[in-house]
Amino acid sequence: MIVTRSWLNEWIDLSGISTEEIAKTFNSIGLEVDRVEEYRVPKKIVFGKVLECEKHPDADKLNVCQVDIGSSIRQIVCGAANVRTGLTVAVAVVGAEMPAGLVIKPVKLRGVDSDGMICSAGELGLADMGKGILEIDSSVGAVKLGDNVNTNSFFNDDLIEIELTANRGDCLSIRGVARDLSAAFDRPIKEYIVTDNDDKRGIGRVLSLAHEKDLNVNLEYKALDLKDLELPTLVKLRLAQIQEQRDSDIESMLLYITQSTGVILRAYDHSFFCKDDEKMAKVILSEDEKGFACIKSENIASIVGIVQDDASKVKEDESVILLEASYIPPEIISKKMSETKIESGPMFYKTSRGSEPELDAGLSYCIDMIEANSASKTYSGKIELINSYVEKIVIVTKQEIDEIIGAKIDKITVANILKNLGFDTSKSSTDNFVISVPQFRHDIVNKQDIVEEIVRMVGIDNIPSKPFILTEDNRLEDNYFEYKKRSIFRHRAASNGFFESVHFVFDEKKTLNSYGFATTKDELELLNPIVQTLDTLRPTLLTGLLKAASQNVKNGYSSVRLFEIGSVFTPDREESYNMAFIFSGDKESESLANAGKPSKVDFAYFVQKISDVVGAITLREYKTIHTLSHEYQTAEVLMNGEVIGELFRVHPNVEKDYDLDVTYMCELAFEKIPHGLKIARKTSKYQASFKDLSLIMPKAMRYEKVKAVIENAEITNLIRFYPVDKYSDDSLGEDMSLSIRFVLQSMEKTLEEEDITSAMDSILVTLKSELGIGLR
Amino acid sequence: MKEWYDKINEATSVETLEEIRISVFGKKGILAAEFSKMKGLSGPEKGKLAKELNSHKSALMNEFTAKKITLQTEALKEAMKAEAIDVSMFSTSSQSGALHPVMETMDRIVEYFSSMNFAVKTGQIVEDDFNNFEALNLPKYHPARDMQDTFYFKDEMMLRTHTSPVQIRTMMSTKPPIRMIAPGAVFRRDYDLTHTPMFHQVEGLLVDKEGTVSFANLKFILEDFLRYMFGDVEVRFRPSFFPFTEPSAEVDISCVFCKGEGCRVCSHTGWLEVLGCGIVDPNVFEAVNYKDVSGYAFGLGVERFAMLIHQIGDLRSLFEGDIKLLEQFQ
Repeated sequence: MIVTRSWLNEWIDLSGISTEEIAKTFNSIGLEVDRVEEYRVPKKIVFGKVLECEKHPDADKLNVCQVDIGSSIRQIVCGAANVRTGLTVAVAVVGAEMPAGLVIKPVKLRGVDSDGMICSAGELGLADMGKGILEIDSSVGAVKLGDNVNTNSFFNDDLIEIELTANRGDCLSIRGVARDLSAAFDRPIKEYIVTDNDDKRGIGRVLSLAHEKDLNVNLEYKALDLKDLELPTLVKLRLAQIQEQRDSDIESMLLYITQSTGVILRAYDHSFFCKDDEKMAKVILSEDEKGFACIKSENIASIVGIVQDDASKVKEDESVILLEASYIPPEIISKKMSETKIESGPMFYKTSRGSEPELDAGLSYCIDMIEANSASKTYSGKIELINSYVEKIVIVTKQEIDEIIGAKIDKITVANILKNLGFDTSKSSTDNFVISVPQFRHDIVNKQDIVEEIVRMVGIDNIPSKPFILTEDNRLEDNYFEYKKRSIFRHRAASNGFFESVHFVFDEKKTLNSYGFATTKDELELLNPIVQTLDTLRPTLLTGLLKAASQNVKNGYSSVRLFEIGSVFTPDREESYNMAFIFSGDKESESLANAGKPSKVDFAYFVQKISDVVGAITLREYKTIHTLSHEYQTAEVLMNGEVIGELFRVHPNVEKDYDLDVTYMCELAFEKIPHGLKIARKTSKYQASFKDLSLIMPKAMRYEKVKAVIENAEITNLIRFYPVDKYSDDSLGEDMSLSIRFVLQSMEKTLEEEDITSAMDSILVTLKSELGIGLR
Repeated sequence: MKEWYDKINEATSVETLEEIRISVFGKKGILAAEFSKMKGLSGPEKGKLAKELNSHKSALMNEFTAKKITLQTEALKEAMKAEAIDVSMFSTSSQSGALHPVMETMDRIVEYFSSMNFAVKTGQIVEDDFNNFEALNLPKYHPARDMQDTFYFKDEMMLRTHTSPVQIRTMMSTKPPIRMIAPGAVFRRDYDLTHTPMFHQVEGLLVDKEGTVSFANLKFILEDFLRYMFGDVEVRFRPSFFPFTEPSAEVDISCVFCKGEGCRVCSHTGWLEVLGCGIVDPNVFEAVNYKDVSGYAFGLGVERFAMLIHQIGDLRSLFEGDIKLLEQFQ
């Protein structure tokens, strides 16, 4: 909503209040200021009158004008098409410095002296009013030739653009904004005095109004013979300021009045409603086939509050026209529109948020403006259809107001604020405010709405801050511990070299399906994705990380380590958290420590990193459901015997698709990662013994088999064992050598050589008998 | 004898000193030779010589030990000098990873409110109309629904447009009093320089007996919170409108970039909008069947906080796993 100081001043006396203060007040009463702009016409630009205007002898498009600027008459060459004798204009005299920087000097244009410049609105630094020089008429008040243009308040104005919240339809007009200021400054609003003309021809001769249904719509009509309407300077200037325009002068005039008063106005071609050559227009309020309230005769002329059919618009400059003011409650129109969407016109924004219900103020003002600026004649009287408004009553006590605000607000202050905002509080008693809500404040329905009005006007800055007195309570619960767990594992991942990334929960269905991921079922799928590449919910974090890694490689990073903890979704759209990692390329960045040649990440290194983050893990041979993985380097990840996810090298083709060097990934179901209090094991105070065995075994034999056999043998004092080296060469053929380190320790004593030997022997015997493998 | 003192003193290396030691103290050394001369003497002369030789022996030994320490120290120094490195070459950056600035900001916000005795509630991303809109006083035709362009699913479910449904679900399942925050991802159908279809919010809710929770309480906690997050800033409340609160306000802080002087970031206003808040609308309590209660609620965008706190310019870079950005937070 754009307002200007001079326009507001038509509805409320703002003298003595600076524009800065007005802007500050807007902010503090909840009308957020987006922009303040000053229109200041420079000095040495004066009012002038074109006395003569002749074609330039040597230039078709130039005119030589004699311009009266009060003190003298200047000869000025002007190129505007609309310059003509009799016009009042703005003249930049010699020495004037234009807003764009040009300084006016006496010049010769094609051999003719030109002593100044006749200006357009844009050249003056005003809102752009299109081509041609600014034509000044009496709408800006009486002007004295030779006076500086900037002494006129319309050419020395301030513009404020405010952003209105959805509930404040009442402020979508200058009058409505003025009403809010009236409460803030405690100054009265200037109301427009409605007068009727006494034309002998009554409106009843040309218009009849009927309604086919009881609809909650208010209508008011006037009729007139339209003739020679010319938009006054002020109207053109202000429409330029609010950056709006309409195709015809009559539509522009209606727009101006609506902007000023908030009343929704339409102009109809009278003949649209007349049968054949009849003089009587039959206007019917009805319901169209979709259930919208409409104005029609044979055909539909307009949908109330939504759109007007072009066929019913005024087409000729000289004709009989009908002016209509309408009001429809915003909740009805928005509800209807949300059920059945139809095309809407420019006024729908206002009607759906609440236009001005006091129709007469807008319609009479409009008639007065048209009569003042044309040779039109208005028929006397009006025809209306008004539903009586049942006043909403809200009752609130002073104590309730004080409790909600948290401060004591003076009773008289409350009453004054409400009165200035247009509320009737005359029925109040000592204890209760009994408030009847005016129709234009459809947003006010309960106590808290009333308190909000008081808070706005009192100013939140004037409310003290007070700590809330609370009852102690333990509020640490599951959701908090889950949050905390995520936080802990995020910290662990970061301290182990991974960068945290966050991706949208959307992904591309086509790509996901092509890799073999099951995505959201069709019947549960997103209805309105924002782009095609984000058209489903992600079932995995892997693809997002792959894309991010690829982008980082393109940015020149040779070592990419990322992780993410985020929501993933099953085809049934069940949500859970996953934690995923990607490690691509170099183990670390180039440095003196690695002589500029860091080695590439490998399976063992990646597994170690994952384990450093989540804890001890066990790997088992596995085949993923998707095709991102290298079939021969893929594992299922277990912790405490439970499967928690998968870990793999990325398939070489996928690495190629994403321009990645050797890359490893891991994705875990976050809730399955064990987390909680740990129980300490009993430890031995005797020394542990270490013993390595190098076993010769077939390359095809899985370590997990060897491991299971040793575990099942339940060797006394063997507390752990793990592979430390792996070797194969030609002489070994299909076999390889695997060195396993055994750690032996007793709770009772330091183990002696024979204890160790006997343990090792038992291991070897078991391996030989169960798997047929032994020492080299 | 004198010459040996000089020799010891003049030795230039541990090795020459060792040779001197052998020449002086060795079995065939000069001291042994001198002592052997005593064989031919007797009585006081023998005693005198012995005394003289012993005093030389210990004096030479002292000289020798002192010199040895000096030479050893020098030798070590030389050896260490040979190991000298140019430390300036080893200035290094961290090889560790880093937390995402948005998540880290969220952690700080959660930390503040948990220490103020707020419970943390997370909830679900896929929501229904009742919890996301209807119960929050946003009936289907409400114009405020325009403010939140929503992602819908074919079965009329939707992605939550704010974390407020978590509050509704909490109220539906718990009796008052309630003191909670709801941190999490939210979704709006908007994608440009300043909007991403997913972002994060933290919303807060306090519900207690009727007449106990006031706007003044809301002011207190938010002013305190914003100073915890942004340091010494000015805080300003502007009346505003949200369907689920009444009275409602938007909260600004003095611009952290220009200290309120006016700059590009604050559109030359000197203020940055950071929060929305208000007293819970009675219609919300009615929707969850709460009676005789009062409460306040507030909500904020975590990305906005992170961008202001860390002076990050590009919102979209936050969702690209961009190491260029992330490595700055090591």
